[in-house]
Amino acid sequence: MKYALLIYGDEAGWSELSEEEQAKLRADVMPRWNALFEELGKADPNVGGKELDHGRTAKVVRVVGGERIVTDGPFAETKEVLGGVFLIELPDLDEAIRLAALIPVAETGSIEIRPVQSAGSG
Amino acid sequence: MQFMALIYADETRWDALSDDERQEIYGRYRALSDDAQKAGVMAGGDELGPTRDATTVRVRGDETLVTDGPYAELKEALGGYFLFECDSLDDALDWAARIPAAAHGAVEVRPVHVDPAEQQP
Repeated sequence: MKYALLIYGDEAGWSELSEEEQAKLRADVMPRWNALFEELGKADPNVGGKELDHGRTAKVVRVVGGERIVTDGPFAETKEVLGGVFLIELPDLDEAIRLAALIPVAETGSIEIRPVQSAGSG
Repeated sequence: MQFMALIYADETRWDALSDDERQEIYGRYRALSDDAQKAGVMAGGDELGPTRDATTVRVRGDETLVTDGPYAELKEALGGYFLFECDSLDDALDWAARIPAAAHGAVEVRPVHVDPAEQQP
Protein backbone atom coordinates (compact mmCIF):
# COMPACT_ATOMS: atom_id res chain seq x y z
CA MET A 1 0.00 0.00 0.00
CA LYS A 2 1.24 3.45 -0.89
CA TYR A 3 0.87 6.10 1.80
CA ALA A 4 1.13 9.88 1.84
CA LEU A 5 2.65 11.28 5.03
CA LEU A 6 1.42 14.88 5.16
CA ILE A 7 3.58 17.07 7.38
CA TYR A 8 1.77 19.87 9.21
CA GLY A 9 3.91 22.30 11.18
CA ASP A 10 3.50 25.65 12.90
CA GLU A 11 5.17 28.20 10.63
CA ALA A 12 4.66 31.22 12.89
CA GLY A 13 7.84 30.85 14.92
CA TRP A 14 9.86 29.83 11.90
CA SER A 15 9.03 32.88 9.78
CA GLU A 16 10.12 35.25 12.54
CA LEU A 17 13.66 33.90 12.39
CA SER A 18 16.32 35.52 10.25
CA GLU A 19 17.69 33.56 7.32
CA GLU A 20 20.87 32.89 9.29
CA GLU A 21 18.86 31.56 12.23
CA GLN A 22 16.77 29.39 9.91
CA ALA A 23 19.94 28.02 8.30
CA LYS A 24 21.40 27.23 11.74
CA LEU A 25 18.24 25.50 12.90
CA ARG A 26 18.10 23.50 9.67
CA ALA A 27 21.71 22.45 10.21
CA ASP A 28 20.98 21.47 13.84
CA VAL A 29 18.03 19.30 12.94
CA MET A 30 19.54 18.00 9.68
CA PRO A 31 21.18 14.90 11.22
CA ARG A 32 17.73 13.77 12.40
CA TRP A 33 16.24 14.35 8.95
CA ASN A 34 19.13 12.45 7.40
CA ALA A 35 18.54 9.54 9.80
CA LEU A 36 14.87 9.66 8.81
CA PHE A 37 15.70 9.67 5.08
CA GLU A 38 17.87 6.60 5.65
CA GLU A 39 15.06 4.83 7.52
CA LEU A 40 12.51 5.75 4.83
CA GLY A 41 14.90 4.56 2.12
CA LYS A 42 15.28 1.22 3.90
CA ALA A 43 11.50 0.82 4.03
CA ASP A 44 11.05 1.80 0.36
CA PRO A 45 14.01 2.55 -1.92
CA ASN A 46 11.64 4.50 -4.18
CA VAL A 47 10.34 6.80 -1.44
CA GLY A 48 9.49 10.26 -2.74
CA GLY A 49 9.08 13.53 -0.98
CA LYS A 50 8.58 17.23 -1.51
CA GLU A 51 9.06 20.18 0.79
CA LEU A 52 6.74 23.10 0.07
CA ASP A 53 7.61 26.76 0.29
CA HIS A 54 6.13 28.80 3.12
CA GLY A 55 2.33 29.05 3.30
CA ARG A 56 2.47 32.76 2.50
CA THR A 57 3.72 31.85 -1.00
CA ALA A 58 0.51 29.89 -1.62
CA LYS A 59 -2.17 30.96 -4.07
CA VAL A 60 -5.64 29.52 -4.25
CA VAL A 61 -7.31 29.02 -7.63
CA ARG A 62 -11.02 28.65 -8.18
CA VAL A 63 -12.96 28.69 -11.41
CA VAL A 64 -16.29 30.46 -11.03
CA GLY A 65 -18.55 30.75 -14.05
CA GLY A 66 -15.63 29.92 -16.35
CA GLU A 67 -13.47 32.64 -14.83
CA ARG A 68 -10.17 31.97 -13.04
CA ILE A 69 -10.17 33.59 -9.57
CA VAL A 70 -6.85 33.68 -7.71
CA THR A 71 -6.57 34.61 -4.04
CA ASP A 72 -3.68 34.53 -1.59
CA GLY A 73 -3.45 31.27 0.33
CA PRO A 74 -2.99 28.91 1.96
CA PHE A 75 -6.41 27.34 1.47
CA ALA A 76 -6.87 26.21 5.06
CA GLU A 77 -6.43 28.83 7.78
CA THR A 78 -5.17 26.31 10.30
CA LYS A 79 -2.54 26.92 12.97
CA GLU A 80 -0.33 24.27 11.44
CA VAL A 81 0.27 24.42 7.72
CA LEU A 82 1.10 21.67 5.25
CA GLY A 83 4.83 21.98 4.72
CA GLY A 84 5.72 18.81 2.90
CA VAL A 85 4.83 15.27 2.03
CA PHE A 86 6.46 11.85 1.78
CA LEU A 87 5.09 9.21 -0.59
CA ILE A 88 6.08 5.74 0.41
CA GLU A 89 5.16 2.13 -0.27
CA LEU A 90 4.72 0.26 3.04
CA PRO A 91 3.33 -3.10 4.18
CA ASP A 92 0.79 -1.62 6.59
CA LEU A 93 -0.48 1.35 8.58
CA ASP A 94 1.56 0.36 11.67
CA GLU A 95 4.76 0.84 9.72
CA ALA A 96 3.45 4.19 8.44
CA ILE A 97 2.76 5.26 12.03
CA ARG A 98 6.23 4.16 13.18
CA LEU A 99 7.91 6.18 10.42
CA ALA A 100 5.61 9.20 10.84
CA ALA A 101 6.66 9.40 14.49
CA LEU A 102 10.31 9.69 13.38
CA ILE A 103 9.63 12.87 11.38
CA PRO A 104 11.07 15.71 13.50
CA VAL A 105 7.98 17.88 12.91
CA ALA A 106 5.82 15.22 14.67
CA GLU A 107 7.18 16.57 17.98
CA THR A 108 5.73 20.03 17.48
CA GLY A 109 3.17 19.57 14.73
CA SER A 110 1.15 16.72 13.25
CA ILE A 111 1.65 14.07 10.61
CA GLU A 112 -1.44 12.96 8.72
CA ILE A 113 -1.23 9.55 7.07
CA ARG A 114 -3.44 8.92 4.04
CA PRO A 115 -3.57 5.87 1.79
CA VAL A 116 -2.89 6.76 -1.85
CA GLN A 117 -5.58 5.56 -4.27
CA SER A 118 -3.65 5.57 -7.50
CA ALA A 119 0.05 5.29 -8.02
CA GLY A 120 2.12 7.44 -10.33
CA SER A 121 0.78 10.20 -12.52
CA GLY A 122 -2.59 8.59 -13.26
CA MET B 1 10.56 25.08 -11.14
CA GLN B 2 8.07 22.71 -9.56
CA PHE B 3 4.68 23.65 -8.15
CA MET B 4 2.37 21.47 -6.14
CA ALA B 5 -1.32 21.94 -6.90
CA LEU B 6 -3.22 20.71 -3.84
CA ILE B 7 -6.81 19.78 -4.60
CA TYR B 8 -9.44 20.60 -1.95
CA ALA B 9 -13.00 19.42 -2.50
CA ASP B 10 -16.12 18.41 -0.63
CA GLU B 11 -15.88 14.64 -0.11
CA THR B 12 -19.63 14.22 0.42
CA ARG B 13 -20.10 15.47 -3.15
CA TRP B 14 -17.84 12.66 -4.47
CA ASP B 15 -19.50 10.06 -2.23
CA ALA B 16 -22.89 10.97 -3.71
CA LEU B 17 -21.81 10.38 -7.32
CA SER B 18 -22.71 7.27 -9.31
CA ASP B 19 -19.98 5.04 -10.76
CA ASP B 20 -20.65 6.44 -14.25
CA GLU B 21 -20.27 9.99 -12.99
CA ARG B 22 -17.01 9.09 -11.28
CA GLN B 23 -15.67 7.46 -14.43
CA GLU B 24 -16.53 10.63 -16.35
CA ILE B 25 -14.56 12.71 -13.85
CA TYR B 26 -11.61 10.30 -13.89
CA GLY B 27 -11.66 10.69 -17.68
CA ARG B 28 -11.33 14.46 -17.33
CA TYR B 29 -8.40 14.04 -14.92
CA ARG B 30 -6.71 11.63 -17.34
CA ALA B 31 -7.21 14.12 -20.19
CA LEU B 32 -5.62 16.90 -18.13
CA SER B 33 -2.80 14.59 -17.15
CA ASP B 34 -2.20 13.69 -20.83
CA ASP B 35 -2.24 17.35 -21.88
CA ALA B 36 0.22 18.24 -19.12
CA GLN B 37 2.43 15.33 -20.17
CA LYS B 38 2.43 16.47 -23.81
CA ALA B 39 3.22 20.03 -22.73
CA GLY B 40 6.14 18.71 -20.67
CA VAL B 41 4.81 20.11 -17.38
CA MET B 42 3.62 16.87 -15.74
CA ALA B 43 5.91 15.94 -12.86
CA GLY B 44 3.63 13.73 -10.80
CA GLY B 45 0.35 13.38 -9.01
CA ASP B 46 -1.69 11.17 -6.74
CA GLU B 47 -5.23 10.71 -5.55
CA LEU B 48 -5.49 10.38 -1.78
CA GLY B 49 -7.87 8.07 0.02
CA PRO B 50 -10.78 9.72 1.85
CA THR B 51 -10.20 11.50 5.16
CA ARG B 52 -12.21 8.78 6.94
CA ASP B 53 -9.17 6.56 6.26
CA ALA B 54 -6.74 9.15 7.64
CA THR B 55 -4.63 8.64 10.75
CA THR B 56 -2.87 11.49 12.52
CA VAL B 57 0.36 11.02 14.46
CA ARG B 58 1.89 13.38 17.01
CA VAL B 59 4.86 12.87 19.30
CA ARG B 60 4.73 14.70 22.62
CA GLY B 61 7.57 13.96 24.99
CA ASP B 62 8.20 10.21 24.82
CA GLU B 63 4.67 9.43 23.75
CA THR B 64 3.38 8.76 20.25
CA LEU B 65 -0.25 9.86 20.03
CA VAL B 66 -2.27 8.27 17.25
CA THR B 67 -5.76 9.48 16.39
CA ASP B 68 -8.20 8.53 13.64
CA GLY B 69 -9.09 11.21 11.15
CA PRO B 70 -7.33 14.01 9.31
CA TYR B 71 -5.25 16.77 10.89
CA ALA B 72 -8.01 19.29 10.29
CA GLU B 73 -11.74 18.68 9.73
CA LEU B 74 -12.48 20.98 6.83
CA LYS B 75 -15.58 21.22 4.68
CA GLU B 76 -13.30 20.81 1.70
CA ALA B 77 -10.57 18.25 2.29
CA LEU B 78 -7.28 17.60 0.55
CA GLY B 79 -8.06 14.87 -1.96
CA GLY B 80 -5.01 14.75 -4.18
CA TYR B 81 -2.41 16.78 -5.98
CA PHE B 82 -0.66 17.43 -9.23
CA LEU B 83 3.02 18.28 -9.47
CA PHE B 84 3.67 20.70 -12.35
CA GLU B 85 7.03 21.70 -13.76
CA CYS B 86 6.47 25.28 -14.97
CA ASP B 87 8.53 28.34 -15.81
CA SER B 88 6.36 30.67 -13.74
CA LEU B 89 3.72 30.77 -11.03
CA ASP B 90 1.28 32.12 -13.59
CA ASP B 91 1.72 29.07 -15.82
CA ALA B 92 1.18 26.84 -12.79
CA LEU B 93 -2.01 28.75 -11.94
CA ASP B 94 -3.26 28.21 -15.51
CA TRP B 95 -2.72 24.46 -15.20
CA ALA B 96 -4.27 24.43 -11.72
CA ALA B 97 -7.38 26.18 -13.07
CA ARG B 98 -7.84 23.27 -15.49
CA ILE B 99 -8.14 20.76 -12.64
CA PRO B 100 -11.81 19.72 -12.64
CA ALA B 101 -12.19 20.33 -8.88
CA ALA B 102 -11.26 24.02 -9.33
CA ALA B 103 -14.80 24.53 -10.63
CA HIS B 104 -16.47 23.45 -7.36
CA GLY B 105 -13.67 23.24 -4.76
CA ALA B 106 -10.31 24.99 -4.58
CA VAL B 107 -6.78 24.30 -5.74
CA GLU B 108 -3.87 25.61 -3.68
CA VAL B 109 -0.69 26.19 -5.64
CA ARG B 110 2.58 26.17 -3.76
CA PRO B 111 6.16 26.28 -5.04
CA VAL B 112 8.22 23.24 -4.09
CA HIS B 113 11.03 24.30 -1.80
CA VAL B 114 14.51 24.22 -3.23
CA ASP B 115 17.24 24.21 -0.63
CA PRO B 116 19.91 26.68 -1.80
CA ALA B 117 22.56 24.29 -0.44
CA GLU B 118 21.25 21.48 -2.65
CA GLN B 119 21.57 23.58 -5.80
CA GLN B 120 25.34 23.58 -5.49
CA PRO B 121 26.89 21.04 -7.86
